Amino acid sequence: MSATNQAAAGQYDYEIIKKFSVMAIVWGVVGMFVGVYIASELAWPFLNFDSPYFSFGRFRPVHTGAVIFGFGGSALFATSYYVVQRTCQTRLFAPGLASFTFWGWQAVIVLAAVSYVMGYSQGREYAEMEWPIDLLILFVWVAYLVVYVGTLMQRKQAHIYVANWFYLSFILATALLHTFNNIAIPVNLFTLKSYSLFAGTQDAMTQWWYGHNAVGFFLTAAFLGMMYYFVPKHAGRPVYSYRLSIVHFWALSFMYMWVGTHHLHWTALPDWASTLGATFSIMLLLPSWGGMINGIMTLSGAWDKLRTDPIMRFMIVALSFYGMSTFEGPLMSLKDVNALSHYTDWTVGHVHSGALGWVAMISFGSLYHMMPRLWNTTMYSVKLINMHFWLATIGTLMYITAMWISGISQGLMWRAFDEFGNLQYSFVESVAAMHPFYAMRAIGGMFFLTGMLLMAYNMYQTIRQGVRAEVASARAAAATA
Amino acid sequence: MADNSTNPATNPATNQVQTTGHVWDDDLQEFNNPLPVWWTYTFYVTIVFALVYWVAYPSWPVGKGFMTGVSTITYKNAQGEDETWHWNTRSKLLLETQEAAAAQKPYYDKLAAMPYEQIAKDPDLSSFVVSAGKVVFAENCAACHQAGGQGVIGHFPNLTDDDWIYGGASEKINESITKGRRGYMPPYGEALSGADIDALANYVASLSGIKVDAAKVGKGKELFHSHVAACFYCHNDDAKGRKDIGAANLTDKVWLWANVPGAADDAAKVAAIRGVISSGLDKGVMPTWQGRLSEQQIKLLTVYVHELGGGK
Repeated sequence: MSATNQAAAGQYDYEIIKKFSVMAIVWGVVGMFVGVYIASELAWPFLNFDSPYFSFGRFRPVHTGAVIFGFGGSALFATSYYVVQRTCQTRLFAPGLASFTFWGWQAVIVLAAVSYVMGYSQGREYAEMEWPIDLLILFVWVAYLVVYVGTLMQRKQAHIYVANWFYLSFILATALLHTFNNIAIPVNLFTLKSYSLFAGTQDAMTQWWYGHNAVGFFLTAAFLGMMYYFVPKHAGRPVYSYRLSIVHFWALSFMYMWVGTHHLHWTALPDWASTLGATFSIMLLLPSWGGMINGIMTLSGAWDKLRTDPIMRFMIVALSFYGMSTFEGPLMSLKDVNALSHYTDWTVGHVHSGALGWVAMISFGSLYHMMPRLWNTTMYSVKLINMHFWLATIGTLMYITAMWISGISQGLMWRAFDEFGNLQYSFVESVAAMHPFYAMRAIGGMFFLTGMLLMAYNMYQTIRQGVRAEVASARAAAATA
Repeated sequence: MADNSTNPATNPATNQVQTTGHVWDDDLQEFNNPLPVWWTYTFYVTIVFALVYWVAYPSWPVGKGFMTGVSTITYKNAQGEDETWHWNTRSKLLLETQEAAAAQKPYYDKLAAMPYEQIAKDPDLSSFVVSAGKVVFAENCAACHQAGGQGVIGHFPNLTDDDWIYGGASEKINESITKGRRGYMPPYGEALSGADIDALANYVASLSGIKVDAAKVGKGKELFHSHVAACFYCHNDDAKGRKDIGAANLTDKVWLWANVPGAADDAAKVAAIRGVISSGLDKGVMPTWQGRLSEQQIKLLTVYVHELGGGK
């Protein structure tokens, strides 16, 4: 084991992966802390301190940016560089460019966060960065594509492993989405302010074409790539069905691009576009579930490990939440369900069942598998991983349960009429009714954040242990030489 | 061992599901299992669902138009004639709004025709007013006057007590809502000495039974009724105020601007009154709702607010 890892460390380019995986943890802590803070602001508004710099409106994109692009993005860079090298049996193509993707990407996250707190925003959800940051993302992303495709092209075997298809589709789709969503004209070259090239409904459609595909390709396809490597690798079992992986990959890639308009039901959006968004969302259900089936059936020969291996638990729970939220999504995309769910906390709960339950859990599992191997050691404490698992699971369940109750109550209160046909509740009454659930959501978030802090501590100790062993063996080698 | 004999990917000799034969990274392999049958058929069902949906509702863009679908919506146009369109959200909204408005029309007609004093005597219409007024009040008035109408001391009048600064008759309440109000009191700190203002504050406080410095009351009373301070111009000789100009009754122990109820002791109560006399007031602004709310809505609110405070 140790010997093969030693060999691997020489065989593959691990330094860049180490950097990205450490930053994934750093951004995880930062982003989840800001998330807990803004959730607490909604429950206890004094936390705004009457300062624009602390307001929900500015912190919210800091939270989403840090968790999606900082934590999720760094985890994807790290795992994709790991997976592509190991499954192609080759080192990274253009390591200088790879290094640029690291520094460039970290600069993007920091600049974005600072600009949001200063009050700069494009006002496009999950793409609030103003134009200079968008340009930097574009350069980083092209470099990422070059490194990734270059590495694939110098692979040592004919077939490209399934995880790489998913990572590559994520890289290509994100390039396309980012470019077209951010076509904007700056007010002048020396200001951060810009205006979108699109207007009105077209602008909203472009925004949600991007927004939902960010979910589809960044938060789904890419993490399926992660799943397709780390689940079979950690379970030591072959992937359940090669055929299913092909069929659901192409179906998923084809269907996702159509569904963004389901975010704009019952608006100025043309009815035909609304229908297409809803129906493609329904047709997306089984292609999405293909990944869940393949993951769970792969694990099915290794159920006994669930009792002893918390990393395996992270993976199976991630797949379960993935299946649950990809069922809930098509349901919510139907116009009549959407009439109830839209603009309520149900949407927020749905996003977080995907973000906490699926994206974060599969990343935790994968990082726990990968990081000790990068430093050629074992995890400092399995007990802490276990505690992290329970904190994360309980936190996620509290979060989404609170949001289901509050979201469905909001939806029902907004549409309730009395016997005279008058609205039964005013908006502010629905806000007051949400208070206990906002508190519950914040507490759920605190559980999740506590788990993340345990992971950070556990990883710090693991890395320290790995570095010390390496220094010791280097000294021993020097002494014998 | 599981029986894999029905699985076409099984090697009959070994009863083992075969892999594709590819191996990556030492041990990564893929079984050659077929698609799960339930998966395939459920996928087909979702496709059929989509096809049915496309036939029923507006779907694919074709040329400059789009497939309109077979389902329709019929509503009454401005001329009162039936108009039928393919299913669309705009027509659906029109239809639902028309149906809801038609159901409420008898109540609104009755409300418009009935004089204020009779509305309260009609239990059915009163219930309607409370139901409809509650929402209109909550969406438009509660931001200042608070959800229950209790107001905020120092900012917004309490509508639930029996004290009406501009009059509690229905016509007066209607006028307040329709045209808005602007309360003003000049700042006496610029015109009178500190001692004079202190004397006035003690006198005004004494009118509500607050324990004050008796020595100052006489001077204050004199100033109140003199042409120097001229308080009586607006607040009247009896200090009970003038509703026609919104000058407050200073004898009824109801306070809006001076935070007397929130003061810790009698000295603090006098200090609160002194502050208002010294700085005056120019923040008593109620916006005009004419043009923002319909006459019907204002009448509804008038009755609702009148009920809240017991009216006059």
